[in-house]
Amino acid sequence: MEASEVYLLRVVDGQMVRAELFDDLSEQHITLWQRTWLPAMQEAIPRLVAAKVPQADWPQDLLWDWRKKTNWASSLLGMRSFCIVCAGNLEGMMMANLIKTCRLEEQRHKELVYVEFVSTAPWNRAKLLVKPRFHGIGKVFVRVAIELSMHEGFEGRIGLHSLPQANEFYRSRCQMSELAPDPKKEGLVYFEMTPEQATRFLEDN
Amino acid sequence: MENQDKKTMTLNLTQAEMRALEELSALKDLSKTAVLRQALRLYQMIDQRARRGEKIYFENDAKDKAELMLI
Repeated sequence: MEASEVYLLRVVDGQMVRAELFDDLSEQHITLWQRTWLPAMQEAIPRLVAAKVPQADWPQDLLWDWRKKTNWASSLLGMRSFCIVCAGNLEGMMMANLIKTCRLEEQRHKELVYVEFVSTAPWNRAKLLVKPRFHGIGKVFVRVAIELSMHEGFEGRIGLHSLPQANEFYRSRCQMSELAPDPKKEGLVYFEMTPEQATRFLEDN
Repeated sequence: MENQDKKTMTLNLTQAEMRALEELSALKDLSKTAVLRQALRLYQMIDQRARRGEKIYFENDAKDKAELMLI
């Protein structure tokens, strides 16, 4: 497993903080998820209920089982997993699929990196906390997906189905192309990035 | 990114196989090595699902389904 350096924005003082990006999910990372994310997620549910947040607006990855996902993906050559660790805390996880192809007409049937799952620690979510600990996890993972795509010869093409609360992020901040909601994926909106959009994202971020 | 040790092998292909590889390489804008990597990833995934007893179908625009038989 390789670790490389990434930077996250610490909300409390606006400082950029060094973190480690791992290109795999180890048993140690999954244990961290179980020990630290799950209790925080469970604590958040009563707060969401008390605040009368409609269930459709809850972070929908609250109940994802990363142990199961990791067990499934670890034996497959076409799956890649990543996580970000800062000061011993697990700040985000991502799983990407390398055997999917593009849907945008201009790059239809070409290979891309499809982001199957991406999730940030409960303490980094504005929906769950007044002041999240870090910003920028999502952007780091978009960059990682683009770099993986380039590394594989896919020229930066990436795609994903976005959870409703993240649509604006992929639309405006990442400038990805938006396709129609996908009835085969519970109506989630599908976003795709072209090589030109990927280059622009890397230049701007 | 994925700096794993790589192994080298010599691959002997017939003319037809090489032509198919070159066509895919051109069509997909991928190197021949990348095409073979993709093929291996896809084959492994299909084989794993077939071993679990799952069926694999192709569907056309008319929603006609054809099962891919793996023998």
